[in-house]
Amino acid sequence: MLWLFTVVIAVLAGIVAVTALAIVVVRLSRRRRQRTLARLAAQPRRALLAFVAENGEEGGDELVAIPDDAWRAAEPHALALLGKLRGEAHLGLVSVFLRRGAARTALGRLRSRSRVRRARAAQVLGDLELRRAVPELCRLLTDRHAEVRVVAVRALGRIGDPSAAWRIIAALDRSDPVPSLLATHTLVQLGPEAEVTLSAALDHPQARVRAVCLDALGLLGAAGSVKRIARVLSDDTYLDVRVSAATTLGKLGTRSALEPLSQALRGSRPTPLRAAAARALGDLGAAAAVPALVEVLGDDAYQVAHEAAHALRRLGPAGIDALREVVDGEEAERSGAHTRFSGAAAHAREALAMAEVLRGERVGAAA
Amino acid sequence: MSEGIVREILRGTDLAIFGYFVALNSSYLVLMVMAGLEFARHLRRVPFAGADDMFRSPLTLPVSVIVPAHNEGASIVAAVQAMTALRYPRYEVVVVDDGSSDDTFEQLRAHFDLVEVPRVVPSEVPYRSQVLSVHVARANPQTLTVVRKTNGGKADALNVGINLARHPLVCMVDADSVLDPDALLSVAKPFGDDPLRVAACGGVVRIANGCRVVGGRVVDVRMPRQWLVRVQVVEYLRAFLMGRTGWSRLGGLVVISGAFGVFRRDLVVAVGGLDPETIGEDAELVVRLHHHLRETRRHDYRVIFVAEPVSWSEAPASLRVLGRQRRRWHRGIAEILGKHRRMILNPRYGRIGLLALPYYVLFELLAPFVELAAVVLLPLGLWIGAVDVGFAWRFVLVAYGYGLLVSLVSLFIEEVSFHRYPRWSDMARGVAAAVLENFGYRQILAVWQIAGVLGAVRGRQAVWGAMQRQGFGGDVDSPEMVGAGRG
Repeated sequence: MLWLFTVVIAVLAGIVAVTALAIVVVRLSRRRRQRTLARLAAQPRRALLAFVAENGEEGGDELVAIPDDAWRAAEPHALALLGKLRGEAHLGLVSVFLRRGAARTALGRLRSRSRVRRARAAQVLGDLELRRAVPELCRLLTDRHAEVRVVAVRALGRIGDPSAAWRIIAALDRSDPVPSLLATHTLVQLGPEAEVTLSAALDHPQARVRAVCLDALGLLGAAGSVKRIARVLSDDTYLDVRVSAATTLGKLGTRSALEPLSQALRGSRPTPLRAAAARALGDLGAAAAVPALVEVLGDDAYQVAHEAAHALRRLGPAGIDALREVVDGEEAERSGAHTRFSGAAAHAREALAMAEVLRGERVGAAA
Repeated sequence: MSEGIVREILRGTDLAIFGYFVALNSSYLVLMVMAGLEFARHLRRVPFAGADDMFRSPLTLPVSVIVPAHNEGASIVAAVQAMTALRYPRYEVVVVDDGSSDDTFEQLRAHFDLVEVPRVVPSEVPYRSQVLSVHVARANPQTLTVVRKTNGGKADALNVGINLARHPLVCMVDADSVLDPDALLSVAKPFGDDPLRVAACGGVVRIANGCRVVGGRVVDVRMPRQWLVRVQVVEYLRAFLMGRTGWSRLGGLVVISGAFGVFRRDLVVAVGGLDPETIGEDAELVVRLHHHLRETRRHDYRVIFVAEPVSWSEAPASLRVLGRQRRRWHRGIAEILGKHRRMILNPRYGRIGLLALPYYVLFELLAPFVELAAVVLLPLGLWIGAVDVGFAWRFVLVAYGYGLLVSLVSLFIEEVSFHRYPRWSDMARGVAAAVLENFGYRQILAVWQIAGVLGAVRGRQAVWGAMQRQGFGGDVDSPEMVGAGRG
């Protein structure tokens, strides 16, 4: 038995020594690699900065002529610059990447066996905003790995080709869908031309698809779709979709949204929907919404009353007057008695106080 | 005859203890391998992780950062300043002053020009104290809210913060934490990537003692000056960074530090918020979330851990404070495991019930008892002749040598992956601390931890630990489950 312990001790001592040595070796080799990369990247980085300083008009040929090993060292910096640049400088840098064969390489890597390589390639194509990569990136939306699909969606958003809208919507309709918020953001990036597709998708059988399209339509300011959205608000069978419809109507801010939102505020509707409707009526900016909102200020559901009070605050003078009326009315009734404010008055006081603070903030900012 | 039986029992017990140490350290090694694989996976994906896209997106889920504070006057302004300057598109900071008797609130009021607003405080999650007043920063009313309430404990303070939180994600942060600028972005990112399944996400906590902090940011990472804290640095690497990452990869994470964790607000509300009766309220919340989600969604949810960037916290620099902290932590473990004992070995709760919680019983709750038993029984065996000297020194060398190896592996993985300690001297001190923790530190830790378990059995009331913060160098007193890793 003791001999076994002795052997184990010897083995352990060996592994401990190797591990300690490995820490030193890893540190040394990393520092050496960093020094090499820094040396290689120094000249290309200077050239990149000069190129950007010249707004991409001069220095492109020098960047293309940089040897491959030096360019690889500077490539993360160049890709980071791509994301930050706009206009001529961006186009100029994209041209440099294209002349260096980055697009060809990335397109080839979209079919790599490694999911990391596929995702990295999709990221590069998105950074380059390469329209001809759209069909290949759309194919990646059915990749078996979620992380690749996510990068493909993001890349399609950066490219902004509306023809990808249906494929992105289809990527939502699967058992392991792309994240809804990412899909929404991407659909918005496709621009107003995607509105027709999004509006048509409001009849999609998948609730997640309808919710995403509603959010995207709201961010795109698709005022032409108000009627369809109002129909979703009243008829959809999924609460989350109806909540999205209410929020979207608020964002669109058209007068025709007033009636469906007021209907959604009624007591028979689910609380999350009523709270969303109250918030949306505040976003709408229509003074005509004041009576409906005042009516629910004393609602038993905190979220509804809270949203209604702050919606009134956001409506401006008409809403503020209504809030004051509620508070004044209650103060007159109390006539100095030290009782707590009722729900309606308490919410109204909170909203009025916030209005006062926000007014001060605006004045301060203006000064 | 009876002397012979005693000797045999002692000999058998010593062998069993030896087997326990081997199993314990092997389990740590497995978790570290898991963590190493996860770090490699994470680092390969950084170029296309989309952090900048998340920062730019108008749809990124907004976060309410809840900061419970109790007598934090010395550091609260700097902490809140740093928290209001994080890199995240939309978030608010809700500071809950839990009946401080020092100038915590006055400091905040003076610095942020607070103005009182008559907020209606809902009771979506129960709280037992009284909210005295709610204030917002005059210059930034949508970003900073400060609540004054009567003292009710950390969990109660967090519950009030959750009630006042306006956003769908809530991030719980200790008032003495220093967050990396991208910390919120990283820890909230999984919710954007997998919004339907991610229920909670914990961030790593590292030790800030010795580091240079400028403007609420850690700008120069260094090893602390005191050996007591250096040992804790190694311990944090092994238990928090590696251990939790390993558990996250195994799908069995049951601890998200109260010092830095993000939760879906609706789920926290659904389970009733934090339990003010438990010392380890942060870990208890996670176990309760598992309980709730396993029963309602079966397996379709995730509780995960991200290893970078980080939240930096002070570690205790004195034995007295460290002892108090560890007694509380281990008492927390005992209370949580006692409260949720029906989940243990229950197949209904999947990996949590069959793997994670039994592990915590076997290798966290019982570990200090075994450690102390070894310290007592091995010399006793030697004294009565049940164990010979040759066996004894080999026993000690193998048991503690294996523990040392586990610590060195964690330092190696840190060096390969995040290499936060750039100085050679700091790395050497880390290796030395890994050796030194075997001489006295682990043994005294075991004593404190046993005292913590006994405290749980006696069931005294849970209260805030007495805070003694003086910027960096004071006390950290938020309950944690820490796998100490034993020799």
